Amino acid sequence: MKKTLAITLILALFLALVSMPLSAQDRWDGSDELDVNPLECMGAEMMDDDMEEDMDMPEYDGGMVAMGDSMAGMDIVVVDVPKLIGIGYFGATTLGQQLAAEELGNVSVSTDGPTDANIDDQIQVIDSYITQGVDGILFAANDPVAIAPVLRKALEAGIYVVGYDANSEPDARQWFVNQAEFNGIGKALIDSLVDQKGEDASFGIVTSTFTTPNQARWVSEMWAYATECFPDLDWLETLEAQEDAGLSFQQAQTLINKYGEDLDGIIGLTSVATPASADAVNQADVCEDVAVVGLALPNAMKPYVSTGCVRDVILWNPVDLGYAALYVLRAVVDGEFNPGDSSVMAGKLGELMVVNGSEVLLGPPFVYNMDNIDDFDF
Amino acid sequence: MQAEKSKPRNPTVSEKLRHLLISQEGVLFIIMLASVLFLATRTDKFLTVDNLLQQGRFMAEVGLIAIPMTYIIITGGIDLSVGSILGLTAIVLGWTWQELGFPLELAIITGIISGTVAGFVNGLFIVRVGVPPLIMTLATLALYRGLAEGISQARSARGYPEWFFQLGQGELLGIPTQLWLLIIAVVIFAIVLARTRLGRALYAIGNNETGARFSGLTVNRHLLFIYTFSGFMSAVAGYIFVSRVSTTRSDMGTGIELDVIAAVVLGGTSIFGGTGSIPGTIIGVVLIQLLKNGLVLTGVTSDATIVVIGSVLIFAILVNNFIQRKRDES
Amino acid sequence: MNKAKNAPVPRRPLHFIGIILALIIIGAYFLLPFVVQPERGPSTVAVLTESKKANELGLFKTGLEVIPLASLGILLLGIWNVMAPAASRAISLLMSVAGLLVIVYYINFFRDYAADEATFISQMDIAFWIMLVAGLLCVLQILIPRPVPEERYRITKLFGNQESVILFGLLLLIFLVGIANPRFLQERNISDILQGNAYIAVAALGMTMVIVTGNIDISVGSLIGLLAVISGRLVVAGVPSPLAWLIPLFVGAGIGAFIGFLVAYLRVPSIVVTLGMLSIIKGVLIIWTAGERVTDMPADYHLSQMRPLGIPMPIIIMVVLTIVVVLWMRYSATGRAFYALGGNAEAARLSGLSRRRLLMTVFTLNGVFVGVASVMYSTQFQIIQVTPPPALELSIITASVVGGVSILGGTGTAIGSTLATLLLNFIRSAMIFINVSPFWLKTVQGLLILVTVLADLIRRRRQRL
Repeated sequence: MKKTLAITLILALFLALVSMPLSAQDRWDGSDELDVNPLECMGAEMMDDDMEEDMDMPEYDGGMVAMGDSMAGMDIVVVDVPKLIGIGYFGATTLGQQLAAEELGNVSVSTDGPTDANIDDQIQVIDSYITQGVDGILFAANDPVAIAPVLRKALEAGIYVVGYDANSEPDARQWFVNQAEFNGIGKALIDSLVDQKGEDASFGIVTSTFTTPNQARWVSEMWAYATECFPDLDWLETLEAQEDAGLSFQQAQTLINKYGEDLDGIIGLTSVATPASADAVNQADVCEDVAVVGLALPNAMKPYVSTGCVRDVILWNPVDLGYAALYVLRAVVDGEFNPGDSSVMAGKLGELMVVNGSEVLLGPPFVYNMDNIDDFDF
Repeated sequence: MQAEKSKPRNPTVSEKLRHLLISQEGVLFIIMLASVLFLATRTDKFLTVDNLLQQGRFMAEVGLIAIPMTYIIITGGIDLSVGSILGLTAIVLGWTWQELGFPLELAIITGIISGTVAGFVNGLFIVRVGVPPLIMTLATLALYRGLAEGISQARSARGYPEWFFQLGQGELLGIPTQLWLLIIAVVIFAIVLARTRLGRALYAIGNNETGARFSGLTVNRHLLFIYTFSGFMSAVAGYIFVSRVSTTRSDMGTGIELDVIAAVVLGGTSIFGGTGSIPGTIIGVVLIQLLKNGLVLTGVTSDATIVVIGSVLIFAILVNNFIQRKRDES
Repeated sequence: MNKAKNAPVPRRPLHFIGIILALIIIGAYFLLPFVVQPERGPSTVAVLTESKKANELGLFKTGLEVIPLASLGILLLGIWNVMAPAASRAISLLMSVAGLLVIVYYINFFRDYAADEATFISQMDIAFWIMLVAGLLCVLQILIPRPVPEERYRITKLFGNQESVILFGLLLLIFLVGIANPRFLQERNISDILQGNAYIAVAALGMTMVIVTGNIDISVGSLIGLLAVISGRLVVAGVPSPLAWLIPLFVGAGIGAFIGFLVAYLRVPSIVVTLGMLSIIKGVLIIWTAGERVTDMPADYHLSQMRPLGIPMPIIIMVVLTIVVVLWMRYSATGRAFYALGGNAEAARLSGLSRRRLLMTVFTLNGVFVGVASVMYSTQFQIIQVTPPPALELSIITASVVGGVSILGGTGTAIGSTLATLLLNFIRSAMIFINVSPFWLKTVQGLLILVTVLADLIRRRRQRL
């Protein structure tokens, strides 16, 4: 009897202890000593162009490939190493690369990568392809720092290296095709939420993990933008859900149940979390009360957008992203795109601008809604 | 599993060789040789010194952890928390250095100590409280990963000085630094397992724990030692890993436990305890690493590669079972 | 045992306390609506439920309907107490648990309402206070000394097995978290947690059987992913939904039988086979689908979203299968043979059980359970994610072993594994409700798993003494 009581007491004490000192809500603002650069507030979008004019073009800070024989115009073999294979998003970027390869005619590109989003496996795959002797590498980094040594090794071996989707340290690759600037995404997400639920909306976030670099940047940009433009927004909390549909769904449910009527919106930061959150909102029958905003592929969101449960979905076009990445790589190989250039031609996408020294910007983030979502199939 | 153990008369060289070839390790070695030869005929990029050394660099962490894992599985236990200990070590190392301002040398030592303590805690609960190893390490798999996340607050520590990378990215006499470490550890701990009282005690515990207890072995002390040892080796692997990838993240080493266990069981260590050897384990580690690398070089993609590795795992054990049974019959 | 201690216990007024308190609470509960809405006349829960007002009050959000159930429980306990005075101690513990339920749910309801309308308090004074005091008395009556109970009524017997320890832990967790944040107790939250993890519980049932025989299956996570995609693609290709639900069961059984064949006839250890199968299945899945998610399933496919009799389907499947497995493992010859096989393979062989056939059976059955779990998983959402949840197999194995299945085989029950699945997932959700820092969530989870396991060990050690 005594021991039973003792167990009970320990359990109770334990729960009390953990819940008290920790309940001070360490809010995750994505900060990992990253610089933030919030855009102008909503309604002042005209300023964007001026700003770009004003800013001095930063110096090229990408890496240099070891000089070998020029392969301009010759057939090249390119391997694409995304964060992981077997998910829809990188299936779409692969599709874009195949399209670009077809148009170019002198590039053969194949996709291979780790089967889990694992730093080490990705490094090993890239290393093996360096040994195999490809001419170019496209990558989307699981970790910007961890991937850098192996990419530098590729540059030293005379392999052209271009990143997309998730960056590495700038000097470890030549160019990075940026799908949309972090501050642009942050602004688009917050604007869409404010537009739907007002400037004092309270919302929760479902992300993959706190350590995923892109998600961390988006959150810190959202944070910076919201602090400046909408200080009344109430950030409730951020929950981790890996890249797991079931867990994302449950985390969204938890937000709905925990905050009840106090919850106005859920922001999904992964292409898995957003549809799962939409499903949770849909099944809880609170479409009217809770706005789901987030990054997602249009195909995954069609069921929710078509019923009106979700209004906006924000994303760049991943097919275009893969397409642009291969075009940039080809242009670099052909010597048509060099450090110091301010733009590059990317096939049907036309002229893409260079930003931040060595990044090629795909364009502003795209907003899908009921009117245009059926035009896309990926 | 020692081929030369308990022979009534002096065997001839050819008998010895034959015995070695059909031993568990021998069969596995032949399988490995066959795979290497096959891969080498498909591409000339595979069987080069540079490539093999590079693969040695990549397999150091798994190899180092596989040594204590072999010990543990021989005693009939298991340690699932190794990946989390690796992550915890990395985070403690980075955190004490960057946030607490420890000198880097001290931070490394603190990291390795905390990993060792993590292993010691596993051992303590398993021995003193009697928690089954699988359950204990399943719980600490979550717990240690949680500690890593909690301590790091999702921040990463980077920007280490140049000398720090010597272990993970440097070379010594033309051979990757961590490969030296792996080779030395393998030699020492293979001898410890095969030739010392400690090694024999581990087999005895694995074969019959109660019997070992009654025959006067300090079973608890042995078990406590190997789980602590496992924590220590995972911590060293964590240090090497940080040095190799130049950053710390709390999710480092996720899932490495399955890679390690796969290598150990592929190496002929019985999951029920009592049999196994370090040479076998190392052949297992090497075989998996070379398959991963070689298949990519011959143009097989990663998704197909894991299918091949899975099949090889089952197939190798199947063949070995068959041969060992035939051997026991003859 | 001292005979004198087991002398019949005289019946005293004390033993009627349960009946009295229960009657008071039930009275106050049915009086309450009358006090709140005098214009309705003496009302019942049914009237209150139907009325639009009920929803505004948040009755079914806060789970107020638990109160009549709990008071009914107190009533039954009270009657038991009168009939068996010797069991007073055990009964008084249960009674105070039920009393705690009443109070927690009541305060919870009250808080929600009071937030909306301050005048509420003045309107409901009598019923409110009567109920609160009765509930408190119900909790506190445990403090009244009782005669030493007979052996068969010892409270410790309540904790005679892992299942009851986990159940107790689960209830305790729900209470404590419920007090800290009443929203945790709303019906929707509880049912969401149950629904969302039911498929893990079902997979853990199969895993329990496998582990009981002294084996393990690490491939279940990727197998769930594969079978879910098979099911989804079939139904999109026009196969009728019921068939798309059944086919994964057969495919699962087939793959399970293959694993069983390797384990039983070719004597490859199960951890090796399933480690291998894990990467084979995962690779095949990626090659086959290239990550393309399955969408556009017909509306009637979504089994997990159905609610026959208002109860979500996953919960029904989970409960029914748990009961079936518990009964089957306890009373069927094959079920008991599993324990024998895990407990002592040699003895099992000597007693004429075919080890091979049993292993084939257990892995095939496991495949069927994985099939059921995969259908529950694939029908949850409008889309099926191709990649299965990372480390799903670890969640399933953790549930089984925390539920009391010994990894060495021979012990463990299905009810334990289901309860453990619930406990683990309630912990995860509860930590969010009490605002544990997101960075420390996993630490707390790990500690709580450890505490559960330790509680069971301490119990076992005491039993041995």
